[in-house]
Amino acid sequence: MTKSTRPIVRIHNIETDEVIDREMNDDEFAQYEAEKAAQAIAKAEAQVKENAKQAILDRIGLTADELKTILG
Amino acid sequence: MATTTNYSWTTPDDTALVKDGAAAIRSLGTAIDTTVFTNAGAAIAKTIVDAKGDIIAATAADTVSRLAVGANGTVLTAASGQATGLEWALPASGGMTLLSTTSLSGATTTISGISGSYNNLFGIIYGVSNATATGVFRIAPNAATTACNERLRDDTNSDIANGYYLLSSQYNPLFTSTSNIFTFTISNYASSSIIKPISHTSSFIRTGTTWYQNLGNGSYNATTEITSLVFSNAGGNHSTGTVLLYGVK
Repeated sequence: MTKSTRPIVRIHNIETDEVIDREMNDDEFAQYEAEKAAQAIAKAEAQVKENAKQAILDRIGLTADELKTILG
Repeated sequence: MATTTNYSWTTPDDTALVKDGAAAIRSLGTAIDTTVFTNAGAAIAKTIVDAKGDIIAATAADTVSRLAVGANGTVLTAASGQATGLEWALPASGGMTLLSTTSLSGATTTISGISGSYNNLFGIIYGVSNATATGVFRIAPNAATTACNERLRDDTNSDIANGYYLLSSQYNPLFTSTSNIFTFTISNYASSSIIKPISHTSSFIRTGTTWYQNLGNGSYNATTEITSLVFSNAGGNHSTGTVLLYGVK
């Protein structure tokens, strides 16, 4: 028997006060994976932007704080 | 002839002759008899009430009836459909009712079966931590992940469209710390005809020991009644955290 690696979700039905902890179903897992992929893309894009910003600062020889002060 | 003060019964004058005494007494007795008979007929008999707390109420002009005492905690309320025009009823409730206390756990925590008997939902969430990864803390009403709009009142002043409702702005709380608290309000959540306004406040640590505060407002852009709320962290599983969910009348 293979051990599933899917994340656990909790459902608290407050009508019955029943709490169920179970693995994600197919739909939930697909959405979870899609979100994770989207987050990874967003993170990579943010890093590219940050690198570009830093490259400009390096070129002009200023730190981000110094530039802030100048633009003040 | 002299008369009595209250009922004007005729009595003999001080100067009346003795021979008139019998007639005067008969006349006075008849008058008293008539008055007492009339008054007794108009009085409410004490036997109309049967038990402690019973009250007497009119069912029509010049007509009375017993209204039995109500149950403990009930109050007397006008009720035109009742024979006496009154009924004992539970006082209209108001304020906040704690609907649930839920511990956050796993990738998502769903609070389902939310009663539609209130006007608004109010939530307090505290002590949230995340063992696996940090991430934005958020709500998905009815598990809808693309149905909320939000205006973040923080240093970004940015707009979020068609997504989760973010309780931590676009920032990742430092979820290795449980030093955080979030509140949210969802108005008209039980309506099936209008979208639902949402607002929140939050206070959490982002890095080191520096607290960060933000607030925001937006909406759940669906006319569907909200019966469940899904809490999650973009990026990881919840380890701890408590959600207190209140219904507000």
